[in-house]
Amino acid sequence: MILPVAALVAAQPVQAMVYLSIEQAQQLMFARESLTPLALNPSAAQIAAIERSTGTRFQPASLRVWRADSGYFFVDAVIGKHDLINYAVAIGSDGKIRAVEVLEYREAYGGEVRNARWRAQFIGRRYGDPVQVGRDIQNLSGATLSCQHLTDGIRRLLALYALVIAGQAPA
Amino acid sequence: MSEALLEIRRARPLLGTLVQIRAAGGGPHRRVQAAVDAAFARIEQLHALLSYHDPASELSQLNRGSARRARQVDAHTYRVLAAALDFAELSDGAFDPCVGDELERWGCLPRHGRARTIRASWRDVALLGSRRVRFRRRLRLDLGGIAKGYAVDLALEALREAGIDEACVNAGGDLRVTGARAQRITLRHPRAPATAGHTLLIRDGAIATSAAYASRRRVGARELSQLLDPRTRRPYLGRRSVSVRARDCMSADALTKVVLFAPTAVAERALCACEAQAYIQR
Repeated sequence: MILPVAALVAAQPVQAMVYLSIEQAQQLMFARESLTPLALNPSAAQIAAIERSTGTRFQPASLRVWRADSGYFFVDAVIGKHDLINYAVAIGSDGKIRAVEVLEYREAYGGEVRNARWRAQFIGRRYGDPVQVGRDIQNLSGATLSCQHLTDGIRRLLALYALVIAGQAPA
Repeated sequence: MSEALLEIRRARPLLGTLVQIRAAGGGPHRRVQAAVDAAFARIEQLHALLSYHDPASELSQLNRGSARRARQVDAHTYRVLAAALDFAELSDGAFDPCVGDELERWGCLPRHGRARTIRASWRDVALLGSRRVRFRRRLRLDLGGIAKGYAVDLALEALREAGIDEACVNAGGDLRVTGARAQRITLRHPRAPATAGHTLLIRDGAIATSAAYASRRRVGARELSQLLDPRTRRPYLGRRSVSVRARDCMSADALTKVVLFAPTAVAERALCACEAQAYIQR
């Protein structure tokens, strides 16, 4: 049965989903281990090397790193054509990805993604800071959105681990 | 249900998109988290088998020529491939998983060796007994039009096995719900995809959507999308958004392409055979 359906346009510009807090992701990935914030200051040469090896731009401003007993915990943000994703990655001391979890997902077809002030709300912020609230639509069906920018972000963290962290740190 | 259910939501990048799982069950919290972990593990397993992007996947091995002679494949690979060929036959080729070569040329899929047009079709894949597969000629199998749906079904099964009462698994818009109450499903509006279009209620069922707005782009002088009409080998650039509601998500996923590309009578026949309904938004 094919049913043509009328779709009325309602003005609801932003779709937002909050999945996990940073603390919840840490708990899921490193259970009872203690985490210590790590100040990473990659040099210009290291940033260039990461960009070369991944073929993507690297902006460390959005990045936060913690050291655990058995690996490292990263929180980062990536911006796609229509969305902004805050995500967490656990990399084990063996340099392998142990877990990836999306923390927050914000979608903006209206062009907000290109607005620096809109982006600034979500990048590098502390959890709990007030943000522009979007609409939480529970079950949304639509054409498949690519998350290539997120995959690129994870590759950048792997390169960062290999080129900056593994080289310097006794765990 | 007298006791309040504990609900959790998680999302991971898998199958080339964002996969979201929402699950509610009786506590403790740990139990619900473990169920979601198990569901993601099933999807990760399928991703490892059927990814076009991963050169180590079983699909990539097949595409590199390992199926020119009959070879055995994983039970999941075999099941998805068998279903894909069924939908190809049911739709007279309006759904065809053998167009990866064209999508490679468009830059929608990574290249496996030299880019060239092969023009193979689903009829060039032979399914033999004992989970064996043979390609009758060189071809590029792409299960991207059906594997997400199958992955959603697998994940939902894992949640049920773990005793989850109510859940929704959503792989980039291809979703399935389970539970005692009907859940509200919102379809994206094709002309304003961040806004809600049609909404419907589903209890224990699936819905998948195909439309060009998410993948439509200009490359040089050409306009492309990820939706390829196998009969003309041209991209779908129209305004229609096709959502199909079916009992399982794999059927819903494959049928969106059938409704998009097959003549109406063929699409009606396929929908009827699967007890499915299509919703068209413009």
